[in-house]
Amino acid sequence: MSLPTPDFLLETRGAHRELDAFVVATVFDRAGGTAAFACGDGSVRLVGVADREEWRTVMAHDGSVLALSSDCARVGFLSGGDDGKLCRIGMEHTVLAGFGSKWVERVASFADEKQRILACAVGKTVHVLGENGAVLKRLEHPSTVTGIAFDAKGKRIAASHYGGASLWFVASKTDNPRKLEWKGSHTGVAIDPAGENVVTSMQENSLHGWRLSDGQHMRMSGYPSKTQAMSFTKSGKWLATSGAESVVLWPFFGGGPMGKAPTELAGGDSATCSFVVCNPKHEAVAVGFSDGLVVLADITTSRIVPVVAPGRGAISAMAWSPDGAFLAFGSETGFAAVVDFTSRD
Amino acid sequence: MSDTLVPVTVLTGYLGAGKTTLLNRILTENHGRKYAVIINEFGELGVDNDLVVDTDEEVFEMNNGCICCTVRGDLIRIVGALMKRRTKFDGIIIETTGLANPAPVAQTFFVDDDIRAKTRLDAVVTVVDAKHLPQRLLDSHEAEDQIAFADVIVLNKTDLVTADELVAVEAQIRRINKFAKIHHAQKSNVPIAELLDQGAFDLNRVLAHTPDFLTDDEHEHNDDIASMSFEVKTPIDPEKFNAWIGGLLAQQGQDLLRTKGILSYKGDNRRFAFQAVHMIADGDFIGPWKDGDPRVSRLVFIGRNLNRPQLRRGFEGCAA
Repeated sequence: MSLPTPDFLLETRGAHRELDAFVVATVFDRAGGTAAFACGDGSVRLVGVADREEWRTVMAHDGSVLALSSDCARVGFLSGGDDGKLCRIGMEHTVLAGFGSKWVERVASFADEKQRILACAVGKTVHVLGENGAVLKRLEHPSTVTGIAFDAKGKRIAASHYGGASLWFVASKTDNPRKLEWKGSHTGVAIDPAGENVVTSMQENSLHGWRLSDGQHMRMSGYPSKTQAMSFTKSGKWLATSGAESVVLWPFFGGGPMGKAPTELAGGDSATCSFVVCNPKHEAVAVGFSDGLVVLADITTSRIVPVVAPGRGAISAMAWSPDGAFLAFGSETGFAAVVDFTSRD
Repeated sequence: MSDTLVPVTVLTGYLGAGKTTLLNRILTENHGRKYAVIINEFGELGVDNDLVVDTDEEVFEMNNGCICCTVRGDLIRIVGALMKRRTKFDGIIIETTGLANPAPVAQTFFVDDDIRAKTRLDAVVTVVDAKHLPQRLLDSHEAEDQIAFADVIVLNKTDLVTADELVAVEAQIRRINKFAKIHHAQKSNVPIAELLDQGAFDLNRVLAHTPDFLTDDEHEHNDDIASMSFEVKTPIDPEKFNAWIGGLLAQQGQDLLRTKGILSYKGDNRRFAFQAVHMIADGDFIGPWKDGDPRVSRLVFIGRNLNRPQLRRGFEGCAA
């Protein structure tokens, strides 16, 4: 038997399209039945995981789509664009809110049995909205918000900006954030699954973190380029990051990441890791590179499985379905794919 | 330099100099090209264009130990996002507020790797008001900085001054910046071809427009901005040059607003283009020397406290 080709998984278990536009973001809906790809031409492309040959195009924004998230309902998506609009994309496409000439640069949602809320970052403001789009809160920041993240329970929302990050209680009546300060330009934010640490990516090719229990600073540096994507593993033990020639995994256990060297996986080629996303069910991370290569790295065993061979543009977006069975990804040159990782006996 | 890089034009000028009029002129003229325009949200006049981005000028200090290294974070975000719809426009124009120091804008295009990989700073165009410039220069540092940074200067509202005043104001500009191209204008009526796609960092061209190379040795007041040029006819040793210019920028970078040069490295057939804004430097080979062209290395400085003998000795010491 011959060795499988690097495209083996894509060819046998995947569906793909050339979208002819920069893939800005991708995400699955909460039910996991549909993957959405947000594009630089203002469109959002949808494909069902069951029928992967049927791709639908929704012209969501006049301009570029800047941000994409799953909606808080089981199905549907939220998108933000440089037309200043926050849109809901389901069977229909509706404008939830408009912000004039300001860009809607980040969107997020949270849903559990108790609450369903949305958030979007527009300039210096994070708007927290109810499921119906009604504004619940406006959270003001000292400079433009570059990243937002809900914690795993939907109680807090973190926003990155110049000089650090702000951590807000969503339900609090007094709107004063906990200020996490560190000089410089912070370009994105992540919260670990236990809600104990906040990490930002920075303009200066490094990460900065704060342990919330005691405010301990964490400096994670050494990247040759900027970190575009950060993702905690399911257990919260590892933070996977892009920006180096390999996927860089920082240990958030045993006293780390302070004073600990990160683990590097899937390195070796000259390409830079451009995107990462951790599987929601297993200690594994999908890794995309600037040459178009996509691999799956098992963190426990260090085993690397190729998903797509290089050559279809720098990977610019990746997402897992909530059950961890499907991986979606897209590239700067408009290649988009969904690959099925369900076990077949 | 690759043609796939998006040209970026920075438009500066003091309040009321005619910057927005010029911008609207650029956008409405029938040149068949589309521009993405980044303006600050305090602009007085409307801008008529399909792709206009309003921004807060958000300057931050880089955490790299360099005290004058300030960068426009908003531009990094906006230009990065615009690159995701690269096919929709041919170039980017950035209008700054009247009070803005151009350094952070220019430095942004040196410092951020993603932006460097996809754009090139084409030219800094500064609009000045012939009637009010002398007063502006007395009462504001920014007006002086904006002239010092310019590759192209639009000397506007020439109809509001006498011929003598015009000569005097032009001389005043030249004392600060000898190397920029100056266009006289009324109501910002400059041919667009003279402003966009200048390749102002194609330094051969800039330096070719410098008639008074090495001829002018007038006394400069320490506090004023001045410009000086130097040339070395023997090929340059890259290591010596890097050591010298690196040390110079580290020590005196705060005073050196702009440094640009074309160098002939020993044993290399290509022209090496060097440029710096304050302490941040960048350099790249830009194609071969033409047959018959004298292989002369040239370097220009625009800044404060320039010591001509010291700079000349330093540059001459880089000869291979």
